[in-house]
Amino acid sequence: MNDARVNKLETADDKYVRVDRMRYEKNKLSSTLAILAIVWNALFFVSIYKSDVGVWYYSILVGASIVYNLLFMMIVFLISEGSKSYKINYSYVAIVVGALQFVRIFIYPRLAHAAQTQATGEIVQVMKTPQYVRVVVYLIASGICLIASAVIGIQKCTALKKHMGQMQGSKA
Amino acid sequence: MAQLSLQHLDKIYDNKVQAVYDFNMEVKDGELIVLVGPSGCGKSTTLRMIAGLEDITNGKLLLDGKDITAAPPKDRDMAMVFQNYALYGHMTVYENMAFSLTLRKEDPNVIHKKVLAAAEILDLTSQLNKKPSQLSGGQRQRVAMGRSIVRSPKLFLFDEPLSNLDAKLRSSTRREILLLHKRLGATMLYVTHDQTEALTLADRIVCMSMGHVQQIGTPLELYDTPANLFVASFIGLPPMNFFQVLVSGDHLISPYFTVTMSPEQKQLLAEYQGKHVTMGVRPENIQEGGDIPVNVSDNENLGMNTLVHGHFKTGEAESRVTCKFKGWCDYKKGDVVQVSFQKMHFFDQTTGNRIVKS
Repeated sequence: MNDARVNKLETADDKYVRVDRMRYEKNKLSSTLAILAIVWNALFFVSIYKSDVGVWYYSILVGASIVYNLLFMMIVFLISEGSKSYKINYSYVAIVVGALQFVRIFIYPRLAHAAQTQATGEIVQVMKTPQYVRVVVYLIASGICLIASAVIGIQKCTALKKHMGQMQGSKA
Repeated sequence: MAQLSLQHLDKIYDNKVQAVYDFNMEVKDGELIVLVGPSGCGKSTTLRMIAGLEDITNGKLLLDGKDITAAPPKDRDMAMVFQNYALYGHMTVYENMAFSLTLRKEDPNVIHKKVLAAAEILDLTSQLNKKPSQLSGGQRQRVAMGRSIVRSPKLFLFDEPLSNLDAKLRSSTRREILLLHKRLGATMLYVTHDQTEALTLADRIVCMSMGHVQQIGTPLELYDTPANLFVASFIGLPPMNFFQVLVSGDHLISPYFTVTMSPEQKQLLAEYQGKHVTMGVRPENIQEGGDIPVNVSDNENLGMNTLVHGHFKTGEAESRVTCKFKGWCDYKKGDVVQVSFQKMHFFDQTTGNRIVKS
């Protein structure tokens, strides 16, 4: 093992300082991952309704989908801000919203991919496989970002809480 | 810590206006130098030239023997504290203090230790999570100083750091700067137009006027033996009183009074027999009791002292005078107080320079 790698090994003091830094530094990683989840979801949102095959999408589901996407962006923005300042409850919400992103795969993309309709005299798939794969990837990426944000947030919040407790104890 | 050498520095702007003329000074390791003078005298320009924020037109600037005349500000290893704090409003105190080290890509753990150490010195530990807008003026200035301290620069530069603070806060922050200097043992250059700051903080003062250095010396030297009329009038509050007197035999004769010279004064002014000189007397060197009458105009009680503003009068001629008497006095307009001069300074009328023993 060369010197550079030896230097990278974390001592107890380094670990203490790393946790202590959290008292003054924001949880930028969790926050950024949450924002990234919004970006992936936005890509999903702008890609999902592209269709050359008539009126299949014109149902109550399209309205619900739009409303959910708007709510998603708002909630995840709040999660981003909350996790930035080490609020653990926002991380729990992030897990739920992240899990819902995986559930969503089985609603619109899956339904549209399975559905067939008549266009220009032929029976065609509503959502062709390349588009289906793309939107599913967007949803998975968004969900992973949110869950990663939540896991990191929970870990950091717990470590910070423990550290603060130790500091309080040593002061007392 | 650092030694700074300023050799024949000139600053001439593009519009041919010269702001600084032939500035020479050697700053010793750990010294606190205060540049003082009225607005527009070139003191801030000099500091900015040292920091690298202004180009040096002529001359050399050496830091620890290394020529940094043309070096960019980032390579000079100096930290500057500005009058308006220059803090980032969207960052916390911690982030503000850590910012310069973050830009240098220092290890975050090292940055953390340095910021906490600086915050401890400046008593800012409990404020680290606050934004500058949540702090008082004094605390903001301490943050600005903290930002300098974390860098451990060779030289600290202060450009009128207390000017935005109220009188009480200015006094306490001034003391903090002094304690900081003693604690860090750092070399500091401090610009101010406030002579109280200069006298209380400085190891040495550089008094400037119109781009020229008028005198460099310890606070006591500038107060006790001002080099010329400008320094004499600028240092000291209230300012020195000046009178034109004729040196005649054993006496100094003005239209308003006659003073008998001591043997030392007679020897000092031997070359000026029969000539006029400018005599300066500080208000605190004028005492009640004597044979010189002062017509009182008004009276300012300061608690420990009383400032008595008045004038000498002979026929139509008048000359204003300010006296600083010990204790509480209740003179009214029109009262006549008999005074005497305890210590006098003499200046050549042509050059304005202090008359010294040849």
